[in-house]
Amino acid sequence: MATSTLVAGKVPSARTAATAATGEPALVRWILTGVAVVFLTLFIFVPLAIVFSQALAKGMGVYWASLQTPDAMAAIRLTLLAAVIAVPLNVVFGVAAAWAIGKFDFFGKSLLITLIDLPFSVSPVVSGLIYVLLFGLQGVLGPWLARHDLQIIFAVPGIVLATIFVTFPFVARELIPLLQAQGQEEEEAAIALGASGWQTFFRVSLPNIKWGLLYGVILCNARAMGEFGAVSVVSGHIRGRTNTMPLHVEILYNEYQFAAAFAVASLLALLALVTLVAKTLVEWKARRQLAESALWNGEAV
Amino acid sequence: MAFTFKKRSNLPGFGLALGFTVLYLSLIVLIPLAATFLKASSLSWQQFWHIASSARAVASYRLTFGASLVGALINLVFGVLVAWVLVRYRFPGKRLFDSMVDLPFALPTAVAGIALTTIYAPNGWLGRPLTSLGIKAAYTPLGVAIALTFIGLPFVVRSVQPVLEDMDKELEEAAASLGASRWQTFSKVVLPTILPAALAGFAMAFARAIGEYGSVVFISGNMPMRTEITPLLIITKLDQYDYAGATAIAIVMLVFSLALLLPINLLQKWSSRRDEKQSEVTSEETKTAEALA
Amino acid sequence: MSIEAQNITKKFGQFTALDDVSLEIPSGELVALLGPSGSGKTTLLRVIAGLEFADSGIVLFDGADTTHQTARDRRVGFVFQHYALFRHMTVFENIAFGLRVRPRALRPSHEKIRAKVDELLKLIQLKNLAGRYPSQLSGGQRQRVALARALAVEPSVLLLDEPFGSLDAKVRMELRRWLRQLHDEVHITSVFVTHDQEEALEVSDRIAVMNEGRIEQVGSPDEVYHRPITPFVYNFLGNVNLFHGRINEDKDSPAIHDAATGDVVYVRPHLLEIHRQPNGGPNFRATIKHINSAGPLVKVEAITEWGAPVHVELSQEKFRELHLIKNESVFIIPKELKIFQKQVVS
Repeated sequence: MATSTLVAGKVPSARTAATAATGEPALVRWILTGVAVVFLTLFIFVPLAIVFSQALAKGMGVYWASLQTPDAMAAIRLTLLAAVIAVPLNVVFGVAAAWAIGKFDFFGKSLLITLIDLPFSVSPVVSGLIYVLLFGLQGVLGPWLARHDLQIIFAVPGIVLATIFVTFPFVARELIPLLQAQGQEEEEAAIALGASGWQTFFRVSLPNIKWGLLYGVILCNARAMGEFGAVSVVSGHIRGRTNTMPLHVEILYNEYQFAAAFAVASLLALLALVTLVAKTLVEWKARRQLAESALWNGEAV
Repeated sequence: MAFTFKKRSNLPGFGLALGFTVLYLSLIVLIPLAATFLKASSLSWQQFWHIASSARAVASYRLTFGASLVGALINLVFGVLVAWVLVRYRFPGKRLFDSMVDLPFALPTAVAGIALTTIYAPNGWLGRPLTSLGIKAAYTPLGVAIALTFIGLPFVVRSVQPVLEDMDKELEEAAASLGASRWQTFSKVVLPTILPAALAGFAMAFARAIGEYGSVVFISGNMPMRTEITPLLIITKLDQYDYAGATAIAIVMLVFSLALLLPINLLQKWSSRRDEKQSEVTSEETKTAEALA
Repeated sequence: MSIEAQNITKKFGQFTALDDVSLEIPSGELVALLGPSGSGKTTLLRVIAGLEFADSGIVLFDGADTTHQTARDRRVGFVFQHYALFRHMTVFENIAFGLRVRPRALRPSHEKIRAKVDELLKLIQLKNLAGRYPSQLSGGQRQRVALARALAVEPSVLLLDEPFGSLDAKVRMELRRWLRQLHDEVHITSVFVTHDQEEALEVSDRIAVMNEGRIEQVGSPDEVYHRPITPFVYNFLGNVNLFHGRINEDKDSPAIHDAATGDVVYVRPHLLEIHRQPNGGPNFRATIKHINSAGPLVKVEAITEWGAPVHVELSQEKFRELHLIKNESVFIIPKELKIFQKQVVS
């Protein structure tokens, strides 16, 4: 498993800046910078810009109206519901998995780690499919569910489940390297001083990983609210009932209601921007904490 | 030595943590996966092969893998370039550009899908100039490749950036003092150092692109045999209640994704091993000292 | 190739690394730049190499102005503190690098390169390790490969940045001796940076002692050790006792007066003698507080009659003759003093 993405990126130091004595000529630098800027503008800024430009193309009136239709509001509610359930559950899972994997050595540990990475390597459509094959009408549990009048596929529970599946690795992946890197000494000291397991966890381990945890939550939430492929497979696309915001965007777009589609999309884009800002802030805070603790331990920063 | 499940440790909570983890994973991952393989086993080998190698399926593989490869290759080249510029150079707005590199990770795929389609449609911001050059982007494999480039953009950049940041400036200075031109220094010293990270990023971008649905399904046109991606084929079969067919294709995708996981992990390990500071070998030191005496 | 640096100034932001520094290095000499961290010695070396450009001043190689030439064009051999070996290349490829990157017209043939690399491998006594990677070598071996790599391009100047800094003491000593031997054989103009005064004294023909961006003294090891011209140089090279006082001409009073406004008197510990009776020359009383007799010399710590600590070194023989014990009161006779006038702060 790669190192925590939170810790991997560091502030570029003066060492990495080009110097006049050994760098490339200014012209080369300008050309390379230009190409990079054009590439990024083309692939990042233009798509972002068009979302907002199309959303507001028919004016603010249409914009607000699109967001307030009953179907749109239902979609927003469902998206929030899925996130509110999936994220806390995945946090508990992430913490539990990181504790077991980060602090102990046991048989089957690497298999466990591979399993946790699984949703990242599987297509979202396949992620949704496996739930259909389990809970769908023709699925393994289909007949049993029908008999008990329980609906998972094409209903809210299925959407929540699919959301949980595609987002559960995020928190775990951030916390595992953190807990591994911290070693056992502080926890052992707490235990020796008489603290219970829970006390040790909440008072010693948790504060040390708080930024990693927050980072994982931010990523988990962004993906939970934005998931499309997996949810699309299990949802049934029933307006007002089983549509999340991304699905609602798709419906509006396919009906050529472009302004409305982009209006809802703009909310999601704003969420993405907030996610990026929060991410950057947490990264900065985490780096500071890392540097301070290194200083404290007498290491060179 | 007797087999022990877990090495001794005096921290509490192992049983609870592992127990919950395994339970959660079983419910969310293992049981549904088991159902998948159960369903798949209801197909005979012949039926499976018939579905998985049907003309329509093969056409979708060609498009999906082909466009993913193109997108990943573009990201390999430009990702290294962007990482270099972000790490080594300064220009106004650099911090903004740096944080925005992660947008494809954060933006919901459906939003990306409709945005890209609108841009590259014949009357879109970029579609129009392209059409005047005789190039059709939307609803063609080219559009698919563009979308897959978008979705994989952060992988190579974020993979290469830390390696470049960690790289000792002295290596380039040594090459310069030995007479290497700037290009020689880059190609013989810098590039080999960042290669494992770049390849790991490439593999991750490739893997992501193969499974991508939301960003691609709007721009691709979805015509069977021509512009239909494999994930869409799975959904189409599901819509027709052809669970068996959908499962067969899904298995093909699963097998390929898992096959890609191994090289990715190896590449990442290779890359992080290169990064480690070299440690002294003290027993050899004294041997050397004696040899020199 | 002689090197001359004239009036070099280099600032990094607010920090002045080099302040109007000038230094002449005649052809074939092995010169040490000695000083504490932050003294500017590495910066001066890098300016000479062309890895940094000075803010002002000029650098001359054999009289030719190379101030604006890049490192690539100056054809210096530079050995880095942490070796900077190319990790993805074998020892052979590392050493051959400088020859392989020459422009087509000047590039030697495969066979010539192989011959040159073999010759250097023999010189550094690592013939059997040509196919190894740097990660498979010890620190001392890596350093020798870095040296061979720099020598492969037949530079006219060899520059070494704390070459033995990160090695074990024993390896350091061996490599020091080896570098000196190498220089005696090859006679290439060499400059090396070190903060270890023992190293500088042992290896170099001349030493430039640096402090806070300026050169304090340039001279042979003998000169800077026995005839230091500034308090910093005296302090930096060898152990020293420091007294704030005034020398008393009066024979019946203590030789050194404690006076806050006096000059600073420097005495090396091995230049103080302990006697039970004064012998008619300058002396002062002291009470023995601590005796450390483990080692080639006996180290005695005492407190002078005016309350200042003093450190004396004597041979084991002398110590045995004296039978010193703790808390004993003795006379200390300085054989050689150095007085630096108190700097007048205007």
